Order: sequence, then structure tokens, then C-alpha cells
Amino acid sequence: MEAATHAHITFFLTGSRSREHLESVEGLDLRPALLAGYRALDELRYDFPLVLVANRPDGPLVQSLSGVIDEALTATAKGVDGERIRQHGLRIERDLRALVASGATGLLSSLWDGATSWLERDAEPSLDDSLRRIRAAIVVDGEVADCDAALPARLLRHLWVAVQARKVAALHQHLDRLVMKLTDILRADFERSTERRDASHLKASVGKGFGDAFDFDAMSRVLASAGTGDGFPEGRRKRIYQLLAVLTSRAFLPGPDAGVDPDGQPYKFIFGSCSEALDAFRTRMPAVIAMARAMAIAELEIDGQYRESRHDALFDEFGANGLDPQDLAAFPDYLVCVHAGQLPAAEHARLMEILTSGLPIKVLLQIDDILEESPDEQGALTAGMRMRQIAGMAMGLNDVYVMQSSSSNLFRFREHLLRGLQCRGSALFSVFSGASGAASGLPPYLVAAAAMDSRAFPAFVYDPSAGTNWAARFCLDANPQRDLDWPIQRFAYEDERHQKVSDDLAFTVVDFVASDRRYARHLADVPREKWSGHLSAVTESLSRERNGLPTTVPCVLMVDERNILHKVIVDERLIREARRCREMWHSLQELGGIHNSHAEALLARERVAWEERVQQAEPPMPAAIVTAPVAAAALVASPAAVREPERSSDEAYIETVRCSTCNECTTINSKMFAYDQNKQAYIADVTAGTYAQLVEAAESCQVAVIHPGRPRNPQEPDLEDLLKRAAPFR
Amino acid sequence: MSPLSATECLLQMCDERHELEDYQSGVPRWCTGCGDNAILAAVQRLCRDEGLRPEKTVFVSGIGCSSRLPHYMKTYGFHGIHGRALPIAEGVKMARPDLTVFVNTGDGDCCSIGAAHWIHAIRYNMNLTVFLHDNQIYGLTKKQASPTSPIGTRTNTTPRGSYLEALNPLTVTLGVANVSFVAQAVDWVPEALFDIVTAAYHHKGLSFVRIIQRCPEWMPKTLEPWLHDPNRVQLLHHANGLPLRAGLARVYKNQVEHDPSDINRAREIASSHDIIPVGILYRNPDVPCYEDLLRPDQLRTIDMKRAALDAELDKHTVWPREANLLV
Repeated sequence: MEAATHAHITFFLTGSRSREHLESVEGLDLRPALLAGYRALDELRYDFPLVLVANRPDGPLVQSLSGVIDEALTATAKGVDGERIRQHGLRIERDLRALVASGATGLLSSLWDGATSWLERDAEPSLDDSLRRIRAAIVVDGEVADCDAALPARLLRHLWVAVQARKVAALHQHLDRLVMKLTDILRADFERSTERRDASHLKASVGKGFGDAFDFDAMSRVLASAGTGDGFPEGRRKRIYQLLAVLTSRAFLPGPDAGVDPDGQPYKFIFGSCSEALDAFRTRMPAVIAMARAMAIAELEIDGQYRESRHDALFDEFGANGLDPQDLAAFPDYLVCVHAGQLPAAEHARLMEILTSGLPIKVLLQIDDILEESPDEQGALTAGMRMRQIAGMAMGLNDVYVMQSSSSNLFRFREHLLRGLQCRGSALFSVFSGASGAASGLPPYLVAAAAMDSRAFPAFVYDPSAGTNWAARFCLDANPQRDLDWPIQRFAYEDERHQKVSDDLAFTVVDFVASDRRYARHLADVPREKWSGHLSAVTESLSRERNGLPTTVPCVLMVDERNILHKVIVDERLIREARRCREMWHSLQELGGIHNSHAEALLARERVAWEERVQQAEPPMPAAIVTAPVAAAALVASPAAVREPERSSDEAYIETVRCSTCNECTTINSKMFAYDQNKQAYIADVTAGTYAQLVEAAESCQVAVIHPGRPRNPQEPDLEDLLKRAAPFR
Repeated sequence: MSPLSATECLLQMCDERHELEDYQSGVPRWCTGCGDNAILAAVQRLCRDEGLRPEKTVFVSGIGCSSRLPHYMKTYGFHGIHGRALPIAEGVKMARPDLTVFVNTGDGDCCSIGAAHWIHAIRYNMNLTVFLHDNQIYGLTKKQASPTSPIGTRTNTTPRGSYLEALNPLTVTLGVANVSFVAQAVDWVPEALFDIVTAAYHHKGLSFVRIIQRCPEWMPKTLEPWLHDPNRVQLLHHANGLPLRAGLARVYKNQVEHDPSDINRAREIASSHDIIPVGILYRNPDVPCYEDLLRPDQLRTIDMKRAALDAELDKHTVWPREANLLV
């Protein structure tokens, strides 16, 4: 074995790097080759930054800057000036993106003003016209947010506020309706009272113009003698006043009317810890129960359905077991934003308490670093394990809405975010921000996207309200090339002879880890002169278990800051980590119905059984002949399956379900023929009439559902003629 | 369908159960053998099975045999004037959206004197359930030709036989903007009639059901060919429409699968001459209801209404004292 190969294998097995044959990657500023094209993100058009739309309550709540500019260009870039306006629009978009990337914050309108103020309009007179037109076409405004560590909480708060505003507005409207109706009831009660029939009130109600035209004393006496009743019982009046008191006290609802809690603290619904949120929820629960109870009783009162004898007992203990998610759905939810890295054990326990109890609390679990190193350097790398397990466990609870995503994917998941915020019960949003990339000189967007693409942090949604099985509830679609273990992308580069070379590269979790400087010791750069055939792709190493001395060493393609290609070998610990990551991805795939092992086993069994049947059976009939009866059977639900009991032709009966209630038979003999609970005729008592009446009824029945059978009395007159007439109906 | 909350269950627990008798009022005075009896039975069964509260249910009618139906329902009823059942029902619904409003109208009432209201009621698409009792004759006034009388029908007003082709209520309805539910039933297939009536009730919007019914007194032979030949009744069924009941499938073998969302196919089916299609021809739950479009953004209290009314009237008021001064 060559010395270089020996050194490479030694590094792979032990992580010990020979200085003679391998170089350290530290200081080389390497990044995976597939990320070579993403050095200057602000020059690329992509989902970020986002505009958190604040001035269009009925429109999209979040839009990408590119989307906003595209919409404006669609409206303005037309005619002979179209191309010029488009170019200027794209230029200002690029400037805006660079401005935001440099740390600028604020509304889109103010950033626009800032970006355009730097442009040299004099050098390009038409620029002013283009920008004026584009600006006029931009109808949305709101805070601009880039993909950074603050994005997940910022975006979720923005959406939560919008969702709660709609929810609280609907609740206020509902409560206002109840209050108005109850007030109307009291007003009607007052109108019937003796006080209201007093002459002075009657005069006031007519108005000034005709105040002297009537004798209101006489009118009062007439009304008093009319006896319109004495109004409500005192108990009902009191109950309605109590309901009104509860329904009008809405201090615990968010919004401009929000008040202070019993401790004098302003009511808030967004918290930085699970404990605070839980405490607030429990403190306010009695008020919520009282409100829910008042709403239910008010509905009954308004409908005139409240009966003290029946309902008092039911509502006395209302809410003793709390409220169920359906009842709670009308009330505001809570939002908790916590960082996974700063989650002490007590807080972790409270998080579990929220999720397991299904309370209407939505939790953002932000993860800034999924490559945290294990305290025990000898063990597994445990990349992201601790944080990812929370989302996995929450899915196991079955009734929690769970969404996991990198922040780079949040814009595409905006509908899932909204759905999670609108769901009943609790929701968990597990988001990787990509903020850990700063230490390696990579922007958070790139790190977050790489984590998702490399299966280190796959995106998925588990929505318990979407159906009753995993196929309906679980969605893995956002991940690239989800059928594969690792997504594969085309990579093109120029070799030493300046020839274009292209290759399909898999982006694995090893590539993702290799971009993190903390893991440099697991990597070693192979000098170009040492490149040889025993350096293989990581996917090859992953596809086979090591039996004996390895003959190849896995390497990843990386580029330095000058975009020079490097081959970097990795040690076996990273390969083990990649295997584990792949297995976890396989589990998710199975949940998502991809390569499902149960289904594949069943399919294999059925295939074997089918092949055996085919071998044993006669030559199959042509498909058309085989399928024809099946199709016919499918067209009509088999009548034979639900055929009515066989009747003897001697028996008198009616096909009741076909009776059209025409009264013909009941008019002939209402004791013999009667209607059932669906008002369709049957023979109630065949002895209550004559055979002649049976035959007459059969003849007059227009839908011919009466069957007279045979006569019971052989002595009945004209029997022979009757039998002849009955023959068509038997 | 979302599950009921505990509170909703609690409220339902106290709901009263109603029997068929709770909806029956008096003895119908329709002729023996009249198809109106079958419609009445289906409607009463619907009320019972859906648990409709009599005091929250209204039947509105115009004039004619069909329009006697509210008299036989122990609910609220409004026996209106000729051709005006639909505008009255719209007024009821507008003032009391919490009520369930049915309309019973005849071929003369709806398709002749009330035709303008019919067209616009379809276009307004208010949440009403309309049953057109179509016996193809003015029966209450003893046999005059109605718009749906077949050509050549001899009546008191057309002694030499009617000259005009009959109007097809289905194709007319399907041609009106905003149409959202059109079905056809026949009184002599009660199972299908009940299913269609139920589907119409569940539709949000104006559901228009034409029920072809027998008039044994004045048109005893007209429908006999269809009555005695089940193959001339075509059952429409679909996963999104009505299921095919096994009992019906046994008798009525002429069955067609028809997707109720396909309006063009619905128009074709509605144009059938020799065959009577029975089932849901068209259903579009996405057409907005007029009362929803007009619903105010904010609640209007009595004081607000009074103030608005006063302001409007004040524009035209001549105050007596001021008037005297001017004199």
C-alpha cells in the first residue's frame, strides 16, 4: 500500500492526520463545492428578505421582496419602456437586498426611500421615472425582515398578531350580537311594564310635534286595561343582567380594550417562557369559563329556550372540568417563543406540560445550532438530536400541530405557519435559524438551507386536523428530492486543462458538517498531487458497511475562497453520523409513505401470491371479458344484497317504501290500510276489510305497490271476478 | 365536519325531539291520489329527521293547490298572493335569517304570474328551499293551461288544445346567473323524493326542486307513460350527488352517473324530452348568498336604526309649528 493511501485510511479510521500526506482544513475557509455559487447572496433573487405586510389585512400577510417587485413590474413594465423599467426595478431590488443584508431595518417604504436616495439619478435621467412608476405600483408596506436569527420569532409574532386580530374581532362581534339581543329582550320587557304605559312616557315616545294632539292619560288607561302581562319573572330579568355584566367585561381579550389582570399587570399573550404562559393561562381560565358559560346561556335566552328547571342544574357546574378545545377555540391563543439552547430543565418540563395538555398555546422552539458538540467527545456527534427529538415526541402525542423547518423555508411554509396558529389546541414550531453559521462565515440563510437539503434538519408538517391517518396528517413534500436518501445536484467546474467537467453530486449531512469550522478536526485536505482513485464519494461509503480494511476513503468536494476545488477526506465518525442521519430520514420517509417498509413487504407478499396463482390457473381470459361484470357490478349497488324479503303471492302486502302517500287506500278502508312513521302505507289489519277492498285499493294505487294476495274468506261474493282483477297485482 | 364542543352537546342535550305528528296540522283537502300528498309527507319527514323546531320554521306559498301546503304544517306559514311566494319568503329570510324558510309554489304560481320573481330569486340566491309542485295545470281553478302544460293539452282556456310548447323550469333555472342548486323529483318515487328534499334543505343558497306531480282530477293520463314504465325515469347518481339506493336501483334500471358540478351536462340532462331525470342536476355551494353579501360589517342596534330612519324622514318633514309660521 502506498504511503499516502496508508495515511488516508489511517485518518479515516482514527482521525489522526499525517502532516506529510494530509493538510489541515483550518484556515482554508472551505465550503462545500455545491455552495460555491452562493457567495454573494444579495446579488441573487430568492425568497428573502420578506415584507411583513401590515397594511393589507385581507391580503397575504407576508410577501417576499422579489414577489413585491415582480408584482409592481407586471403592472408597470409594459410598452416601449418596459425593459428599461424592468432593469431599474431589478436594480433597486438588489440595492434593497444589500441594504437589508448590511443590517438596515424598517418599513419597506422607508428602506425604499433610503435606497433610492443614494442612486445617481442625474447620470441616468430615466431612472427617476422608472422608480416613480414602480413605487406607485407597490401597494404593500410593512417591516422588512431578512433571514437572520431574529426572523423566526419576528415572523411568527407578525402572523400571530394578524390571526388573533381576526379571531378577537369575530369574538367581539359575536359578543356584541349577544349583548344587543339581550338588551332588546330587556327593552321589550320594559315596553310592556306599567311604568312604560305611564302617560308621561307615552307622551315622550310620540315626540314634540304632536305632544298636544293626544290624551295620553286616556291612552295609558286603555293600555293598562289591555292586559298585556306583567313582564318577565324577576329571576329571568336578573339572569339577563348578570349575563350582560359578564359579556361586557372583556378586559382579558387582546386589543385596544385590553385591561389589566387582577394583579394590576397588563394582559399579554406573547411570552418568552412556557412557565409564564402557563401561569397566565391558568389565572385567566375562570374568566374564560364564565364568559363561555354566559355565551351559551345567552344563546338559549335569545332563542327563548332557557328553562330554569332544566338548564340551571346543567350550568351550575359548567366548566368544572375546564373547557374543551372546541370551546376554547373562540378565545385568544397564547404564543411562546423560546430558544432551545436556553431551555433549562424546568422550562423543558413546562413545555411538555403545554404540549401534552393540548392547551391553546403555540410554541416557537427556535434552534440556533444543530451541530452542537456532544459533551463526551468520544461518543456520537449527536448533531441536532436533542432538539429534534422534541418535535418527534410532539408528533407522538397525536393531537399537537407540529411543524419543523429551517428558517430559509419559512416563507414557503407560511400557509403551514398560519394553519398551525389557527389550529385548536397546542402547536409546536421547531425552527432552525441557521445563526450558528456566523462562526464559519456563512450567512444564516445558507446554513439553514444547507441543513434542510442535507437532511440534517428536514422540514415536515404534522397536522392532526387534516385527517385520521398519517397519509393525511404528515407532509414531507418541502424537502428536495424526497424519494432519495440525499438530494443530487449537477455540479460543473473547469479542470486544469480549462475543460468543463460536470458531475452529479449528492449533498449529504457530511457536506453540511464540513461547512462548520468546529468540525475541522474530522476533515483533512488531500493535496492535489495525492488525489487518486481510492478517494470515493461519501455516498459510496455510506452504501456499504465496512468489512475489513477499507480500500477507499470517503471525501467531499469543497472550494476555497478563490473557488479552487479541494478534495477533503472525512473520518469515520462523520460517516457514522451520516448513517444515523440517513436512518432518521428513512423513518420520516416511512411516515410520509415513501419506501414504506410495511407496504413494500405486503406488496412483495402479494406479488409472490399472484405469481403463484397465475402459474396454477388456466390461461387468463381477455381483460375486457374479465372486467365487464366487475364494472357492471360497480355501477349499481348490488340490489340482491339488500333485496326485500321474499313474499308469497298469496300474501297481501304493500311495498311501503314505494308508497307515495296519495290517500287512495286509506280512503277505501282506514283500518285495513294505515300510515307508518314516515307516512307511507302498510296493511295494518288485513282482517279489517274485504278482499274486494284489497283489490280495489290495488287497482286505484297509481304506483301499483299494493298486492292483494289470495282471499281469506272463500265465501266472499264475486270471488271469481275479484281473483281475475287481482291477478296483475299478485 | 368539525366535532361539537362540550357546550354545544350540552345545549343539544336539552333539545326536544319531535315526531311526525308535531308537524301535522289538519286533514289535507287535496284530491285523493294527488301528488301533493307525497310532497307533504316528504317535507314532514324532513322536518322530523332534521329536528327542525316548528317555531323556527316557515312555509311560504302563493296561490294554487300546492300553496295550501302551509295549512297542513304545524309550523309558521304564510299563504301569500298569486306569484309572490318568493319575494315574501325573501323578506322573511332577510328580516329573520335565523328561520328555516321553505317555499311551496305551483307551475302557474311560479312560472307564469311569478316568473319575474322566480328569475330574480335564483339570481339573489338567498338561503331558501323552493319546491315547485308541477302538475302541469291550474287545478284549483278547475283546469286551465299552465306554462308547463304539454302542447295540445285541452283545457278550459285551450279547448282546441294548447298551442305552445311547455316551458321547462329546469332549463330556465339553469340559465339564470348565480344558480346554485337544481334538482328534479317525481311524487311517485318517494324514496328519491325524500333524498332530494333532504339534499335541497342542506344546500346553503336557493335550492330549486321541481317535483313533477300527478293531478288525478284534471290530468289523470298525462303522466301515465312514465308512471307505468320505470325505464322512462332516469335516476341521477354520483359520489358528490345522491347515492343509488339498492331498492330504487332494482325498480328503476335507467341510471346515469352525473356530477352535479357539471352545469353543461346538467343543461343537457334537463333538456330531456322522453325521459324524466330524477336527482340533483346542479349544485355549486360556492355561490354567495345575497343576505351574506348584504350583511353589515357592524351590528346595527335599535338606536342606530332609529337614528338613521329619523335622519331620512327629517329630510322630508315639515314641522307643524314652523309650517304655521310660514302661513
